[in-house]
Amino acid sequence: MTNPQEIATKAEFLAHAFALEQESVDRYEELADAMDTHNNLEVAGLFRKMAEFGRKHAVEVERLAAGSDLPTLEPWDFKWADDEGPETGDYADIDYMMTPVQALQFALANEKRSRDFYGLVASHSPNQTVRELAGEFTQEEAEHVTLLERWIARHDSDTTIADDLDPPNIVD
Amino acid sequence: MNPLSDKIEPKDYKSDVKPVWCPGCGDFGVLNAITKALASLRLAPEQVALISGIGCSSRVPAYTNVYGFHGIHGRALALGAGLKAARPDLHIVVAGGDGDGFSIGGNHFLHACRRNMDMTYIVMDNEVYGMTKGQASPTTAPDWTESELTPSGTHARPFQPAAIALAAGATFIARAFSGKPNTLAQMVVLAMQHPGFAFIQVLSPCPTFRPEQKEWKNIVRPFAVDALPTSDPALAALHCQRDDGMSTGVIYVEARPVWKRSDMQEIAIDDIEQEFRI
Ligand SMILES: Cc1ncc(C[n+]2csc(CCOP(=O)(O)OP(=O)(O)O)c2C)c(N)n1
Ligand code: SF4
Ligand SMILES: [Mg+2]
Repeated sequence: MTNPQEIATKAEFLAHAFALEQESVDRYEELADAMDTHNNLEVAGLFRKMAEFGRKHAVEVERLAAGSDLPTLEPWDFKWADDEGPETGDYADIDYMMTPVQALQFALANEKRSRDFYGLVASHSPNQTVRELAGEFTQEEAEHVTLLERWIARHDSDTTIADDLDPPNIVD
Repeated sequence: MNPLSDKIEPKDYKSDVKPVWCPGCGDFGVLNAITKALASLRLAPEQVALISGIGCSSRVPAYTNVYGFHGIHGRALALGAGLKAARPDLHIVVAGGDGDGFSIGGNHFLHACRRNMDMTYIVMDNEVYGMTKGQASPTTAPDWTESELTPSGTHARPFQPAAIALAAGATFIARAFSGKPNTLAQMVVLAMQHPGFAFIQVLSPCPTFRPEQKEWKNIVRPFAVDALPTSDPALAALHCQRDDGMSTGVIYVEARPVWKRSDMQEIAIDDIEQEFRI
């Protein structure tokens, strides 16, 4: 277990923020491709939309980092709260028949983890500039959380996975 | 390429072929860990060969842009060994499933451990034959009754990959979980840097035929002993035997002379053909 609280420089912070968004884009694209392959087009579309949001945020971070020399961190060197990036989700929560609302719940959990990650940095980093920047990012992630909660509330709340009339796991 | 650091990114090692794995399959995590490891090692695609056998997991070479060979069932290690002998400069990573590696390929596994060639072997263990629709594999629990081929279970003791690799002479032995690609990436880096035969058993859930494995994320945990990794085979054996198979981490690392190609005579293809002429 690592410590977001220990992020102490602006460059280190931005390296985390960029990786967070880029990993999120990569994972959502991977999930969207997998859903396309398995003909769950609606969920594929939602995951692609989430990837698009991540891409835009990555560009914002890039803009903030312009001119600074960011450290190159290996995957296991990041100070996430867990071993994995906050927005990569959990493969165990993915199902080829998942409903759009389940996909949104998956995305919501990601956004909450990001908000909490930035929140920890904002309240504990030893560096004032990092605390302020992380505070802004926390705010932004909190807005995403609210937005997703609204989307979920608007959606049919059905989280039961429909029966597959031709399931892959029966022996022919 | 990362626009902020000019670093090669893991996705730069992915091919344009999209995985056909079931969404949620643990093998996605292994693919991500392998590409992360290659990016961390800053290896050019043409310095690496990814060799596999047959199975869902064995499709992995198609999804990367390093040299790949999607071989035949159970023969991935033989192919990897042949390639290492012919091209010792290449980093050889062999990957596949528990059926491929411990069932039909079980004998190759034992001798690859013994021979200690410089290569990395990643087994995506889902305790089932995924590709052929859910039959029991050597690592399946004896009382698993979901397959029509073994309706009352196999009644056979499950194969213990780490303990067997140790007994057979592997010089790097680790266990990991596919749901933690960052941790696994570090392990793959260590394995590829290890001079000799490095074996990683990756617990990689098959949500389609073993949906109960979705729970693995709540069960796996790092080995709770400071003594690991060890170079003492007796200590490693003790921890392998005591464990329920769900603890992760590097278990055993030994420095032992690596198999080297002896001075082979270069033989021209024409001369080989001559020998086979009737
Ligand atoms: C010589 C031979 N025998 C049997 C098969 C059928 N077969 C294909 S994949 C497979 C088992 C795959 O299981 P595993 O290696 O665990 O891979 P997974 O699909 O679970 O990833 C078998 C028996 C084959 N392709 N070739
Ligand atoms: S059948 Fe199992 S092992 Fe094969 S792709 Fe699907 S989830 Fe993965
Ligand atoms: Mg298998």
